[in-house]
Amino acid sequence: MNNLKAEPVTVALAAIPNSGKTTLFNRLTGSSQTTGNWPGVSVEQKKGSFTLGEFPITLIDLPGAYALSPVTEEERVVRDYFLRTPPTIILNLLDARNLYRSLGLTLQLALSGLPMVVAVNMMDEARQQGIEPDFHVLAQHLGVPVVGISAKTGEGIPDLKKSLYGVIQHPEKTRTAHISCPPLLEKAFAQVTEAINQSGITTRLNPTFLAMRLLEEDDPRPWIKDNQTAALVRDWRNRVESSLKTSIPIVCAGCRFNAARGLVMETLKEQPVLEDRLSKKLDHIFLHRLFGLPIFFLLMFILFQGIYGLGSPLQNLLAAGFDSLGSRMASWPVYLALPTLLQSFLLDGLWQGMSVVISFFPLIALFFLFMSIIEDSGYMARAAFLMDRIMHHLGLDGKAFISLLLGYGCNVPAIMGTRILSSTYGRTLTMLLIPFTLCTARLQVFVFLAAMFFSATTAPWVILLLYICSFAAVLAMGLLLKSFHIGGDPEPFIMEMPPYRMPTLRSIGLRTWYEMKDFLFRAATLIVAGVLTVWLLTHMPPDVAAGSGATWAGQLGRMLAPVFQPLGIDWQETVALIFGFIAKEIVVGGLAVIYGGTDLTLQMTSHISPLQSVSFMLFCLLYTPCVATIAAIWSESRSVRITLLALVSGLALAWVTGFLFYQSVLLLGLR
Amino acid sequence: MTTGQHIPVSALQPGSECIIHSLGSDEKTARRLAQMGILPGTHLHIIRVAPLGGTIEAAADQGQNVALRREEVTAMDCEPVAIPLDSGLIAVDRPYKVRMLLGGKTFRRRIQEKGIEEGTRILIQNSQARPFPIRLVDRNTEINLGRGEAEKIIVEVIDDEQSES
Repeated sequence: MNNLKAEPVTVALAAIPNSGKTTLFNRLTGSSQTTGNWPGVSVEQKKGSFTLGEFPITLIDLPGAYALSPVTEEERVVRDYFLRTPPTIILNLLDARNLYRSLGLTLQLALSGLPMVVAVNMMDEARQQGIEPDFHVLAQHLGVPVVGISAKTGEGIPDLKKSLYGVIQHPEKTRTAHISCPPLLEKAFAQVTEAINQSGITTRLNPTFLAMRLLEEDDPRPWIKDNQTAALVRDWRNRVESSLKTSIPIVCAGCRFNAARGLVMETLKEQPVLEDRLSKKLDHIFLHRLFGLPIFFLLMFILFQGIYGLGSPLQNLLAAGFDSLGSRMASWPVYLALPTLLQSFLLDGLWQGMSVVISFFPLIALFFLFMSIIEDSGYMARAAFLMDRIMHHLGLDGKAFISLLLGYGCNVPAIMGTRILSSTYGRTLTMLLIPFTLCTARLQVFVFLAAMFFSATTAPWVILLLYICSFAAVLAMGLLLKSFHIGGDPEPFIMEMPPYRMPTLRSIGLRTWYEMKDFLFRAATLIVAGVLTVWLLTHMPPDVAAGSGATWAGQLGRMLAPVFQPLGIDWQETVALIFGFIAKEIVVGGLAVIYGGTDLTLQMTSHISPLQSVSFMLFCLLYTPCVATIAAIWSESRSVRITLLALVSGLALAWVTGFLFYQSVLLLGLR
Repeated sequence: MTTGQHIPVSALQPGSECIIHSLGSDEKTARRLAQMGILPGTHLHIIRVAPLGGTIEAAADQGQNVALRREEVTAMDCEPVAIPLDSGLIAVDRPYKVRMLLGGKTFRRRIQEKGIEEGTRILIQNSQARPFPIRLVDRNTEINLGRGEAEKIIVEVIDDEQSES
């Protein structure tokens, strides 16, 4: 036997959704986590480490999956992981409250031939329902160690570690449990297994397991180089499916759950299972035919106010703090000794960029604090259920509604929050739609401009028009992107309704902490780079006044004048829009810099008609989102295509809308 | 056993139930359901319909609660076991048992005065006539129900042996 000492052991944590996987992951790895994306997809990958005796362990948190024959992007990731890079040990997590549901995946994993430990989670809650599984029976049938735990309370964790340690020391392969299938399918398994054995493939996986995976795949070719075996697989697949008139993955699921049903009966010895009365009672209130929606909107109001009512002042406070600190630094002798251009670069470029990054922290912290509560408590699934009818026209589920709604506060955390959505399609589409929501930064600009150009009675109507325009843009772009199949096809909406649970401070705290760390590492560089680009445009060449018509931005504005002329937007405002890339609220400051006079209102009202100002506001609402939003889209999607699409689709829609508005106004003879 | 039955949208009410015979033709949906342990032979109990309609919550035998869309259920081959009295699927001259009364206290009281409560056995002799003529098997009397009343009464099929006793 190989001496594993000091060699890192890879343990893969696999479970179906809603089994408390994240809680166990946090419990085992504590603060030693790193996050990233699985290669090429917008699925989050988490790794953590801990030690067991002399062994350093790398724990890989696999996405939630119901089976190894994938339906969702998450499940594709899990399948690829097991077939391409099988872990040293599988740690499979079950939900004690519903073993049947969990065993479908377990029975598939048990056939893999890899050493495995099964942990039955939520024992504390299961006991309250009168559920006392006989782990000995379960262990005997599965041929692997089984431990009862509660990741939430820490119960059984030492036993779990002991079991893992034992398996690492003696990595016996699982004694493959047999699951009976229709005879024809059994024959197919046997024949393909035989072919795999003869083709001389070396793998740690059980050949029968490999045969099952190949037969369940729509196309075996990416997984097997040997043409003869691939042909054999296809041949058998057609034979079985035409004979049984059902696809192999569904037949196999049937076999597994038949076995699971029997196993559950033996494990629980048919003790009466008490129903979860709390969930039933709460659902009666939260999903009430009449009161369900009002309660939902009330909760959303509290959520929105909780995040932005508390977060926005903190954000402004931090930004103001940065400004005053910056101006204090500007009086330091060391700073004053620097060349003027370098001074400006440091203060208006670098310092400003850092200020943008840091000022997002309160918002992100509050956002994930509240979202964790909503998600961990189980209400998120209820919200999705309530809003599904409205959202499914866009192919989205109800959770996307919450993401979009929160975009009306600030796009950045809302985009980071799309990771709670269940499908890649949903995440991609929502991420591309959030930039069209009228965030509070844009609202500041609109309130300022509307007050400048319109009377106190008309101004609110202008703001309302902009809100309506934002709703319409979300809807129209949603339908457009759906019809272009951006982000693939909608996945079937079949969602489990998990029981309500009390969220724990520990998991909420950890989650919030990681999201902030993540934002700093993943988005900060891009934000600072974006701010520096704007600084370059508005301060170069070195010998002209910042923000003036002679700068690169000014030249660009003039060059683009013919493009913006049909929208009624002058080059000065185009330059302000370039400033607005840093953060939308800077548009106002940008205008002040460009016009450079003392009375901005007089200068602007004499220069721009009220209708031109509306055209400008419409453009401002829809055009390219701010650099922090773009950075968030990039860090969530890890896709150049999606990020560019966010940039371009905004610009295009803004131009078309501005054009249509201004030209129709001109046609009507208004000015 | 009857197969090829699709439960109509109107029958998807809280308290309704059907037995799945096939998971429908959409492979992705079928596969997802199968991998959640919802397979041919599973009884689906409708728990509630979302306030805006369109989405329903159902419970399967083994205690999994899932939310799914109406179209996904109607696309399945799901044999009705319990349905609203008004759903048009009620067989004439076959006894049914009242499983559940939807609606509030007032409705419950009104319908109780007519002699109907959970467990009451009833028989329908003409499913076309309105108001709905219903025979109460145990009392051997006939009553009339309005359309609004009939759609709030969920009845279940009684097995033949049971009905003869």
